[in-house]
Amino acid sequence: MSDASVSPPPSGPIARMIRREPDLAIGLLLLALIALVIVAPGLFTSQSPLSVNVDAAMEPPSFAHPFGSDDVGRDVLARVVHGARVTLSICATALVAAAAIGGTLGLVAGFVGGRLDMTFGRLVDVVLSFPPIIFGVMITGVLGPSTFNLIVALTVVYAPLFFRVARSGAMAEAGLTYVEAARSIGLSEATIMLRHVTRNVLPLLLVQCMVLFPLVLQIQAALGFLGLGVQPPTPDWGAILQQGKDYILLAPWISAFPGLAILVTALALMLVGRGLQRRLDRR
Amino acid sequence: MGAYLARRLAASVMTAALASMVIFLLVRSVPGDVVGQMLGQTSDPVAARALREFFGLDQPVWRQYLGWIARAVSFDFGVSWARGQPVAAMIGAALGVTLELALATLAVATLVGVPLGVVAAIHEGRAIDRAVQGFNLLGLAAPVFWIGLMLLVGVSGVFGWSPPLVYAPLSRSVGENLSMMALPVFSLALLQAAAYSQFVRQSVVSALGQDYVRTAVAKGVPTRVVFFKHVLRNVAIPLLTFMGLILIQILGGAVIIESLFSLPGLGRLLLSSIEARDYPVLQAGLLVVVTLAMLVNLLVDLLYHVIDPRVRLR
Repeated sequence: MSDASVSPPPSGPIARMIRREPDLAIGLLLLALIALVIVAPGLFTSQSPLSVNVDAAMEPPSFAHPFGSDDVGRDVLARVVHGARVTLSICATALVAAAAIGGTLGLVAGFVGGRLDMTFGRLVDVVLSFPPIIFGVMITGVLGPSTFNLIVALTVVYAPLFFRVARSGAMAEAGLTYVEAARSIGLSEATIMLRHVTRNVLPLLLVQCMVLFPLVLQIQAALGFLGLGVQPPTPDWGAILQQGKDYILLAPWISAFPGLAILVTALALMLVGRGLQRRLDRR
Repeated sequence: MGAYLARRLAASVMTAALASMVIFLLVRSVPGDVVGQMLGQTSDPVAARALREFFGLDQPVWRQYLGWIARAVSFDFGVSWARGQPVAAMIGAALGVTLELALATLAVATLVGVPLGVVAAIHEGRAIDRAVQGFNLLGLAAPVFWIGLMLLVGVSGVFGWSPPLVYAPLSRSVGENLSMMALPVFSLALLQAAAYSQFVRQSVVSALGQDYVRTAVAKGVPTRVVFFKHVLRNVAIPLLTFMGLILIQILGGAVIIESLFSLPGLGRLLLSSIEARDYPVLQAGLLVVVTLAMLVNLLVDLLYHVIDPRVRLR
């Protein structure tokens, strides 16, 4: 901050954040843009993601089709824009479910300890002994490819990670003086856990959500790409890539743009997740 | 050491046994079975019952499991229901392809990622560091299969070359094998190189800030010696764990990359056996993957001790 006297920097919390953590600022800006795409896809494209026009199949990017058109003449931009909501809502739902289930079990296991903790711990070890994508393939393969089953698979794959975070958080909290104090004034174990420990473990879970989001997105897209996720004609980034795969040398734009969308989203999530993690570590 | 090894092995075997039950139950809950697949629309109840009996599907699940696991521990995985070949041979062939892919990727990723991370750490905060960090972020954010597709477009556009369509094992033709493997390896390695580089950068930066490094510099130890003896040595242990993690990730990533580049590896075998409801192949393949991941973890733990004798094995 030695150059602060040369030109007074703009003040205010936002300006300060941009100056101190430019990557977090960029991430938040990108996320805001993505949120806008999800909320108001009509702002970015006026075409339907589903309307087929065989006469205009596999056209390269042009003014009419900025991202080109796919093998049956659908507008790729429209599919990518409308796919944002499909893809990201699946990831977000799975993350929230995984955080709720894994987090709750981890909290209880960490706070109560003993045999309960051992049992859950073993189960988590088993799930984590599979590479995540393979476990995802196994579950979607068993249950059959559908949006709901995809969410189930992602939830099962990621719940153990939330379990571990919540468990270690709860264990650390359980040894602190305030828990002792709460016990000594006669609060029940359930009250201590729900009211006090949960409140301190929750931020850990939220940051974990942000950190895991890009990973969930990658696995979601990979399962879609393998044909085990969202089924056509619903626009989903991974599924669009899967459809474009067969025409990759003839019409690379069908695959290029949904992949770019995944890249940009993952990048934004990573930047924000890291920023949050830094802040949590500093506390 | 011996006692530790025994306990560690026992825990691994326990997890593997539990995992094998999970695998078995999951595989058996695939809706529709091989009999339905074989008979198709013509559902003749007599033929269906005969086939179920033949495959042992009329037995209770626990008995099917015990029979399977008892044979599996002696590497007898039975015969593929879809192809009639011995499962062990099919898995063996596929495993060879996947291991080649995984080890080549690990080598490329290490050779690219570790130096990048070290260079970035030495020049912390400068332009080269920022460039490496940019590469790391992009590499981690890009989907593996997308990188594969774009590489395919890139090399065919620039060089007019595309990889051969049929896989040739190393033993038949080294050149053909390598030209088939090049793109899959590079698409997988890019992501892992980024992961490596980020990890190594962080470890080296924090090692450089340690007291023992300052002490070594203060007492006049040459910079190069400080770097190799004090910094890199202490980075080696976390790096080893990370390497194990990466190898397991590569095994997972191989599923996607193999299906994209039509490599006849374990991932493709798993996918096709799910489709065909080929239980013996699916079960054995999953068991092999889990066992591999577990072995990697065990090996990493043991190597710890070799690199740093201070690490007490408990």
